[in-house]
This record gives sequence, structure tokens and C-alpha cells, in this order.
Amino acid sequence: MAYRVVIVGGGAAGMQTALELKSRGIEPIIVERDIELGGKARGWHKLFPSFTPAGDIMQPIAQRVKDEHIRCFYGQEVIGIASDGVTLRSEERIPADAVVVATGFTLFDAHRKQEYGYGLYDNVITSVDLERMMNGGRVTLTDGSEPKRIAILHCVGSRDEKVGQKHCSKVCCITGVKQAIELKQMFPTADVFNFYMDIRMFGPGYEELYREAQEKYNVHFVRGRISEAAETINKRIQIKAEDTLTGRPLRMTVDMLVLLVGMSANYDNPTLAASAGLPLAPNGYFKANDSFLGVVRSQQEGIFFAGTVTAPKSLADTLAEASLTASAVDQYLKNKYNAK
Amino acid sequence: MDDILLYFAPFTIPFVVGTLFLFIAVGVKWVLWLMRLPRVDKLLIRRGIFTRQTLIAVWEVIRESLLHVRIFKHNPVLGYMHASLAFGWFLLIAVGWIETTVYLGADFVPLQGHVFFKYFAPHLALQEHYAVFEQLMDALLLIVLSGVMLAWFKRLRSKALGMRRTTKHVLFDRIALSALWFVFPARLVAESLTVAVYGGGGFLTGSIGGWLAEVVPADVLAMVYEPAWWFYSCALGVFFVAMPFSRYMHILTEIPLIFLRRWSLRPNKERRSYDNFEVEACSRCGICIDPCQLQADLGLNDTQSVYFLRDRRYNMLSLKIANNCLMCGRCEAKCPVGINLNTLRLNSRAKRRNIPHEGRYRYLQGIDRSSGMGKVGYFAGCMTSLTPAVQRSMERIFEAAGEEVWYADRDGGVCCGRPLMLSGETDAARKMMESNRALFRKHEITTLVTSCPICLKVFKEEYHLEGVEVLHHTEYIDRLIAEGRITPKSDNTAYTYHDPCELGRGCGIYDAPRRVIGAVGKLAEPKHTRRDALCCGSSLANTVINDGQQLRIAQRMTAELEATGCDTIVTACPLCNKAIARAATRPARDIAEIVAKNIE
Repeated sequence: MAYRVVIVGGGAAGMQTALELKSRGIEPIIVERDIELGGKARGWHKLFPSFTPAGDIMQPIAQRVKDEHIRCFYGQEVIGIASDGVTLRSEERIPADAVVVATGFTLFDAHRKQEYGYGLYDNVITSVDLERMMNGGRVTLTDGSEPKRIAILHCVGSRDEKVGQKHCSKVCCITGVKQAIELKQMFPTADVFNFYMDIRMFGPGYEELYREAQEKYNVHFVRGRISEAAETINKRIQIKAEDTLTGRPLRMTVDMLVLLVGMSANYDNPTLAASAGLPLAPNGYFKANDSFLGVVRSQQEGIFFAGTVTAPKSLADTLAEASLTASAVDQYLKNKYNAK
Repeated sequence: MDDILLYFAPFTIPFVVGTLFLFIAVGVKWVLWLMRLPRVDKLLIRRGIFTRQTLIAVWEVIRESLLHVRIFKHNPVLGYMHASLAFGWFLLIAVGWIETTVYLGADFVPLQGHVFFKYFAPHLALQEHYAVFEQLMDALLLIVLSGVMLAWFKRLRSKALGMRRTTKHVLFDRIALSALWFVFPARLVAESLTVAVYGGGGFLTGSIGGWLAEVVPADVLAMVYEPAWWFYSCALGVFFVAMPFSRYMHILTEIPLIFLRRWSLRPNKERRSYDNFEVEACSRCGICIDPCQLQADLGLNDTQSVYFLRDRRYNMLSLKIANNCLMCGRCEAKCPVGINLNTLRLNSRAKRRNIPHEGRYRYLQGIDRSSGMGKVGYFAGCMTSLTPAVQRSMERIFEAAGEEVWYADRDGGVCCGRPLMLSGETDAARKMMESNRALFRKHEITTLVTSCPICLKVFKEEYHLEGVEVLHHTEYIDRLIAEGRITPKSDNTAYTYHDPCELGRGCGIYDAPRRVIGAVGKLAEPKHTRRDALCCGSSLANTVINDGQQLRIAQRMTAELEATGCDTIVTACPLCNKAIARAATRPARDIAEIVAKNIE
């Protein structure tokens, strides 16, 4: 009989882990809170740094999960985890030989930065809204016209103590560069400004893309956070910032303000962690066993992590980590049952 | 000369030396403080001294320095403790003096003659009517002793007297405190022993003395009788020497303070000699410790007003202590001496007051980004710009009321200056204040409405906007509703209200916001409310605690608001609003938002 592993969360990390486990002869079971698989990557338009359509990556994975007949529970919320199974909200228990926590992250709620007027001003949107618009094939202002001047604000809900988000969400910088280029491709005559604190281009090809945005697309980068936004009578957005390189305050009116929202830890991380006696990091993410060889292991034998449940990660990193998780689970099960 | 010799005994030397030292030390302090007062303050004294205020001050001295009426109101047991010690001791001295005068005539009797009367005149016990004095003095001694007992008990079990925490004392305080604790028991023992030897005595010393005479052999009594008086004199002497350097200086400082206050002297943004009277009037009773949220929520035990004043008095005040205060005013509201704690804290920060670089504020010249026309000016304030929903709601309300409004800072404006003032940079703050004042004058407004209580306080206290009525938006909205200019509909939403420190304790505005909330829904009060309301923790006045600590204060205070079972938390300060919003599980709204939402 094959060993059984419950994977909590059917996003990129959960699906990829399931596929990797299956290929090792282990029986994965995915428990997904939503009514379908795919997680946050579903509905994303194009991926950095290659502008690959997100669907080109995610659809084949979802299809393989279906083809491999991996058992999935939909619309089921896990409220308790242990090394020998999980408990659902319906109080049903799914026993297992090991558990993988792949519950991902929660998008930072841009309403919490009221000074940027999200939900209050018409043409203030988040980076996620922009992806959805691009998926729909049309990016416009609320009155249907084309934006001529766009500001993209980095670090909304990242590296911001005032909203209790001290960590860097890692992927927003490169997303901002990618979206700026996409906007310039759509509206070549528009001015696009990126307001940043630091530009962190850590991945392969990122720095090159950042240069390309400036040299080829003439995207403007201003070092300084926007302090506040106000709506003008004709529904434009007036922003105030400080250009910290020249040390001068700056005021500008734009047609559209895009907020690059960060990645927050899930609100139910504390309850999940408490149910298994696992520690959380100060930023609310699950704490990996160590930062080097144990990144997918928890401090409890038999409970593993995959993807952004432990820290913000790119899709590429998440998919790579899923293989590592599968390998760690495989090794754990072998050791456990051979020893008997 | 004969009289002095008549009332001389070696054991009186510690008392006489201590008393002389006390008079000289206190005299020098008072004279120096008064001499160093600036000219304006001296003028105030000259103007006030021959007015009714002086008589009122005399009455207040009796009420506060002797009877301690304010402490009584705060806590009857603590009040009794203070009154029994202060008023009881005063009566012991006064009645003792009358006693001396009655039996010795108006002849000059040196000080130690009154105080140790029993020692010098034990034979009086045999005289007629003397028993009345004996009984009276014993009763007074008993009252004072009961106060001492309470003080001992308070040291051991402060909770029993309604104080969760009491003050940690410095060395001089401990010396003086120990001496004070021994003074009255020592007097009881010395007088009882005298009675045991010579007879007489009231119900207290008489019975103890009688009992001593029975159980203690006469030769032993004769041996310990003199040392007992030595001990009493030493306790008094030590207490008097330590007093000017200890917290007990408050006994003598509060008296001139009451007079100076009645003559309208007040502490100010700059440190002045007058501050000495306020600083040394602190008795370190520690009543300010319990209301402090830095203590209750964060466990900080070195920054409360009592420690701040202590450090400032002994010249060991660090900037960190001066800055580590929310200036919420909760302690000031409870201070039995009525010390202006916030102002003293503020002018301690002014030490690092900077002279701003001329170029830095050049941009202020002729700055005017205002828009609109009208006699009513609206100054949103920086924090309101960061909570644009409040600003929008105010615009909606102005529109509904048909008010012509001049918007001072809708497209950007200059800070009101109070944040700089709170951090002690008064000169820089003045630059901003002058700029704004000129702007208000230029547009000839008659009413100034602001959404930010922080701005409101500085407009009211520092701007001197004669002819311009300064209103917080809660007062303005309240007025619009009362005049029927807006008629928001009422629903069944359950609201609770958080009193912002600057609006409530800062400007005394408690009722207007409550009337407004009552007009749109139901209001439930949290446990701490009005003058006793908690601070949100995000106060601009504190530059020491970190964000996590601010959040902890906000969480504790928000939990209390949510315990009312409200649907929505309402406040009237954009800064409080942000603090509550991130700690609450229920929506936090400004009062303007709930009104704008309910306008048809």
C-alpha cells in the first residue's frame, strides 16, 4: 500500500508537490479551500522576467494533477494539522503518513493604507487589479479613457512598520518593472513613474529587465515613497512624495496610481501553527526548521512546508521548492517505515 | 537668656539643629526661586498680592495642604492618611503652643520648650484643668499615629489602599521616610515613660504610662527615660535635615505654590524659575503611576510623572525620560497637587530646542495653496490628509449644510506646528505657526474648523486668533444638527466612542461628539471614558516607544472599546482612527464619516 500524504493548499506549491510525490509512488491528497485549484497564480496575466503567460505554466500543471487522478477535496478548510493527518472545519479528519503545509500567503489589503485612497478614489488600483485588467484585454481609467500618466508605487504593505509588515515581499520590485514595461507597450506615449525605496533585482535576468525598462522603454524611477494621494475634481490623482535622491518634495498629478501590494502572512497561520505546536516567525509566516538544509521541514517530524507559507517567494522558487519538499517527505517516510 | 537655659537639655540639640537647618535651607530655596523669577512673573505677583485671590489662596492652603480634600475625593483612605499626618501634626504643634502659653503666660518660650513641653513641665500634671489638654493632645497623637500606621501598611500592601503600585524612592526619601515613621511612635514612648515616672497623662499616654509604671522597675524607667527623649529629638532632627532634599519638601513648597497659582503664574513652553515650585511640590505619592498606560500595557517603570519630576529635580533627567511620555494627560487629571505635568514635560524637551537654519523654512514665504471662498475656514491637517475619507465626509457635510468654505490645505498646506512643539523644537514650530496665522488673517475667516484635535489645541492655545472662532469638526457638526442645517437620519447601529486625548482632556470637548453620535445611532460607553479615557498609543508626543509598543497600547484600549459590543468604533481624531483601525476587529470610523453616510 502506498503512503498517504495530505497537502494543505492546492496552489502552485501544493499541486507541484503532489505531482512530485505521485512520481515517487506516494499517494498525495490535496485539500483546497477554494472550489478549484490554482491559488494566487490563477488569473495572473504574464510572469516576470520572461513575460511568459501565467496560463502556459499553470494550466499544464493543473491538467497533470487531473490526469494523474490525484484526489482533491474542494471547498474544505483545514483547521488543525498534525504529523498524522489534518482536521477539517467539518470536524472530519483525514489521516495521513505525513502532511505538507502549502497554504501560501494573503495579499496585503490596500484599504489599510487609507492615505493612498484605494477603494475611495476611482483610479487607484492594485497590481493584482492591473493583471486582471490585462487579462481582460483592456486597461482603462474608470471613464473608459486611456491613462496618459501612470504612477506605480512599490512597497505597499511591505517594509512598512506602520501596518505591521516589516518584511520585504521580494517579488513586487520586479513585478513593478514588468508592469511598467507592459503599460509602456500598451500606451507608448504615456509617462510611467515607479516610486521605490530600493530596487531589489535579485533574480536572473531581473537587473537586465530593470535596465531595459529605463533604456528601451523610458520608464521613470523615482526614489521615494508616496506619502499621500488625493483625488482632483476631474478624477485624477494628485500624489505627494519626496525625491530622496535630490532631497526635494515632489507633487505630481497622474491619471492612474497602481499600488504594488505585498504579501502578508495568512490570518489563520496562528491557529494552524498552534494546532500542531509549531512556531511562527515574527512576521507571521511559518518558521522553517533552519535557513539552509531544513527550509521545507518544520520543527515537527512529519510536517513539511512548500512555497510561500514560510516566506514570500517567486513562482519559480515555489515550484523548485515543491520538488525539494517531495524529496524530503519521501526520505522521511522511507526512514520511518524501514526503521520498523 | 534664663528662659533659654530653663528649657535646655542636651537631648534637644538634634532637634534644634535640625529645625534651624530646615528654616535656613527652605528660606534660601524660596528666596532664590522668587528672585530668579522673570520680570513678567514678578509683575503678576505684585498685581495679585492685594486682591481677593490671596484670601482664596489662604483657604486653599487650609483645604489642600492641611486637609487634603482632593486626595480625599480621589481615595478616602489615602486622604485620611495624608490629613491625619498633616492636619494632625499641625494641630499638635498649634495646641502644644496654646498649652504652653496657657500655663506659662505669654512669656517667651524657645521652640524646643513647646515641642518637648511634657519633658520640661511634668509637674503640670498636678494642676487643675490640665487634664483637658492631656486628653486633647493624646487624641491628636492617636490620630497622627493612625496615619503613620496606614503609611506603614501602604508600604507593605499598597493594593489595600487602592494603589496597584507605589513610588520607588531615592536615598534622601528613605532617610526622611524612616525618620518620619519613628517621630510619632518615639513621642508616644517618651511621653508615656514620662507619665510612668511623674504620673498624669491622657487616655493614651496615661494608660501606657500607668502600665509601664506597674511592670517596669523604677530604676529601669529612670534609665530609659532620658534616652527615649533623645531618640524622639534625633528622629525629628534627622527628618528636618533630610526634608529640604527629600520629597517632604512638598509640604512647604505647596503653600507658596498655591499663592503663586492664584496670582496666575503658570509654567510655560520655556523653563522658568516658577517651575521649581511645581517640581518640588510633588510629594511622590505615586498616584500618577497607575493611570499610565506605559506602565500598565508596556511595563515601563521609570518614566511616569513622579519619576520624571524626581529626575528633573535632582538634575539627572535624561532626554529619553523627558521624551518617553504620551502626554495623554491621564496622570495630570489625577494629580492631587494639580501640577502641570504636560507643560513641565514639554519644557524639559525644549532644552534641545534648535535654531532652525534660515534656508530650511524659506519655502513658507507667501505660501498659499488654499481654495474656495467663505468666512468658514476648514483646516484638515496633515493626519486628515492621510485619512482622506474624513476629508471627503467633511466636504459632503459642508455641501449639505450649504456652507461657503475656504479650504486652507486641501491642495497641500503647512503643518500646524504642534508636532515640532511636542518634540521641543519651539522655534521651528513658530515659523509654521506664523505662516498659518498670516494665511488665516489674509483670508479673513471668522470661523476655523479643523478635523484634527492636535491642530485644534495649538490653534486655541498658541495662535491667538482673536475674532476667529476655532472649532473642532465635532462641535461644528453638532451645531449644524442643532440649527437644523443638516438632518442626518438615525439608525440602529451600535457605536462606541473613543475620546481622543487632545480633544477630551486637551480641549475639554466631551459632549458635542456624544450628541452627534446620538443623532445617528446608539452610543455605548467603554469602561474608561471622558476624563478617564485611554490613549490610543500613537501619540505624536512620544518619540521613544517603538511601533510594536504603540500597537500593544492600541490593542489593549481597542479591546475595551469592542467589549461594549458595538458594531462600529467612532473617534474624532485621524491619528486615533489609524491607531484603532489597525488594532480593531470592527470598523473604525471618524464621526464625520458616520454623519456624512447618514445624510440623505
